Amino acid sequence: MPSSPSDPRLQALLSSPHLWRAEAPESLLGSPRNADFSGIASGHALLDAALPWQGWPRSALVEIVSPVCGAGELQLVLPLLRTLSTEQQWSAWVAPPMSPYAPGLLGAGVDPARNILVTPTPAQLLWTLEKTLQSPACALVLAWPGPLSGKHLRRLQLAARKGRTLGILFHPRNIRHSPSVLRLATQTRGDTLQVQVLKARGSYRKDGFAIRLGAP
Amino acid sequence: MSSQLPRRPGRTSAGRLLKGVKPYRPASPRSAPPGPSASSPRASRRSAPLWYALCVPQLQSGGEGWVAQERLQELAARLGQVSATVSIQPPDSVVFEVRSSLTYFGGIANIRTRVLELLEPLLSSWGVESGLQQAVSPTPAASLLLARRGCNLLVYRRDSLRSALGSLPLDALASSQAPAKARNRSRQLRNSGLQVMRDIWRLPRQALARRFGPDFVRQLDVCLGDMPMPVTLHQAPPHFSTTMDFDYAVEHSAFLFHAIEELLGRLCLYLRQRELAAAHLQLLLRHEHREDTRVAVELRLASRSLTHLSLLLETRIQALTLVAPVIGMQLEVQRFDAFLPGHQAITGVTDAVHSADQTAIVQLLEQLQARLGNEAVRSLHCHAEHGPELAGSDRTFAGITGSAASGAEYDLPVAARPCWILEKPSALLPPAFRTLQLLSGPERIETRWWSRQPLHRDYYVARNHQGMRLWIYHERTGERAWYLHGVFD
Repeated sequence: MPSSPSDPRLQALLSSPHLWRAEAPESLLGSPRNADFSGIASGHALLDAALPWQGWPRSALVEIVSPVCGAGELQLVLPLLRTLSTEQQWSAWVAPPMSPYAPGLLGAGVDPARNILVTPTPAQLLWTLEKTLQSPACALVLAWPGPLSGKHLRRLQLAARKGRTLGILFHPRNIRHSPSVLRLATQTRGDTLQVQVLKARGSYRKDGFAIRLGAP
Repeated sequence: MSSQLPRRPGRTSAGRLLKGVKPYRPASPRSAPPGPSASSPRASRRSAPLWYALCVPQLQSGGEGWVAQERLQELAARLGQVSATVSIQPPDSVVFEVRSSLTYFGGIANIRTRVLELLEPLLSSWGVESGLQQAVSPTPAASLLLARRGCNLLVYRRDSLRSALGSLPLDALASSQAPAKARNRSRQLRNSGLQVMRDIWRLPRQALARRFGPDFVRQLDVCLGDMPMPVTLHQAPPHFSTTMDFDYAVEHSAFLFHAIEELLGRLCLYLRQRELAAAHLQLLLRHEHREDTRVAVELRLASRSLTHLSLLLETRIQALTLVAPVIGMQLEVQRFDAFLPGHQAITGVTDAVHSADQTAIVQLLEQLQARLGNEAVRSLHCHAEHGPELAGSDRTFAGITGSAASGAEYDLPVAARPCWILEKPSALLPPAFRTLQLLSGPERIETRWWSRQPLHRDYYVARNHQGMRLWIYHERTGERAWYLHGVFD
């Protein structure tokens, strides 16, 4: 679709309310073409470059596929947590596999007081996720929900858009045809974290790059 | 004019007027001429207040302080039917103003009968039927004095107060003070040859103030009405309860929401009228032939917002399975709190956007807690401790504070700390340990040597075959085993 049609007839057609534009809802949730919805800088230059939003998308659902938990995928998110805690925004950790360690977070520049830990029972997990994503209170929701169906992901995506929250789900396995806006796969090789963009809405590039894990 | 209260024997000596040479003369210019009352007693009767004092001395002796306080509250609540101005005077008395209700009840005798009617069941339930002492006078302090001494007197006019009080022993004055001070004072008075109040009236005011202190003179002034006595009014505690009956039994909880909104609407109106906020709500769902279902909602921050309260209640009800069809509902407030409108905005510490954000997070947390329970919603904290287990903790939200500086006093250790911690260190068996590659360390942590569980550990950072960076330690005492304690990222 041409972004700026010169033909006045075409312009009239485009402005007609009867015409449904498949692009319209996209631009609301952070399409790269909409300048108002630029992303949040991820803190990793390579990741920013690989994503159409020049960073994490806002008010959207992101999936990070990592075969094991604790193998470096948190490094992708830590700079974002740091940014949010300096902006005094709240982040929620829903059903993490281990307990977040406050001194470690503080050492990474994240204010633990701005992080909420929510540990629902498996039966309450989807409800909790939906509510935290829907609420405008949290800017970021990190969640380890286990296997989810496409239907549930769609619902969470809508909730994230409603609450203008960035939801990052960590999965052990890739869910195909997921409605999330961005899907990344990570794998650790030696002291680097290999990140592969599986899907980024609005972009066909499937870049891969490596992030060096902090040497202790 | 002074007379006995009807139907009760009292002392008779108060009727006489005293004519002293150097009478105790009040300083206040307001009261200097006794003119108007002398010339037209009716006028003074209409304008001046009349205080009814009730004293139950047994309250003081029996049981604990809070019991007496509660009983006095009950007394005051009942006396609200007789007077609009009721005040509790601990430890054992209640005073209330009756001049304004005199015409309505048709005289003091009727008021007295009414008071006895009201209080008799209450007193007999406490087992103190005979213990009621009462007195009526133009000043609350004098009424209290008379009632506490058990003189069932009725004094209409202020200028007869002196004579009415005259025969009271001076110890009565001291009873409202700290015991040590009171004992001191009464000894002083006795040594001066002063036994009853009448003796005081004969003395010059200046000398009294010099010898017994300005407090003593002030007390006399208050008794005689030359100085006002501040009286804190008793206010009945707020109470809210509202019910709704359904025309038909409701079987699905989703249909209850409309009714809940209506009940909450009434509640919010009540709260707004009284500048209150609800801190603890209870909703009873009534069933036929079954016990009511009780839904209690405890709020972190007392609220009177309709949307917030209904969100909380609906969250609770959604999680509920109805045991039987609901035929009615009752909404009660168990605890009220004062309403604090945007107190942060007033102090100027935080801007409006920030406090709006605060409300949003409080509401989210309350909603989560309502459904998941308090234990499931936790906050992260750092503590100034060397032991890794003690340095970081998560606990339930006690109350949200915008500037919860949990990391403020915490000095970061030199070595890196992992982002994940295992609640209990897990033992690394030798085969698993052999595959690890040590990256850095050791960091020696020795602490809690004063306690039963001292820590003597060497911490290392290691990488396993999956590429995970692990935080492991080696016990330096005991079995010298290896443990996994955290995961870095």
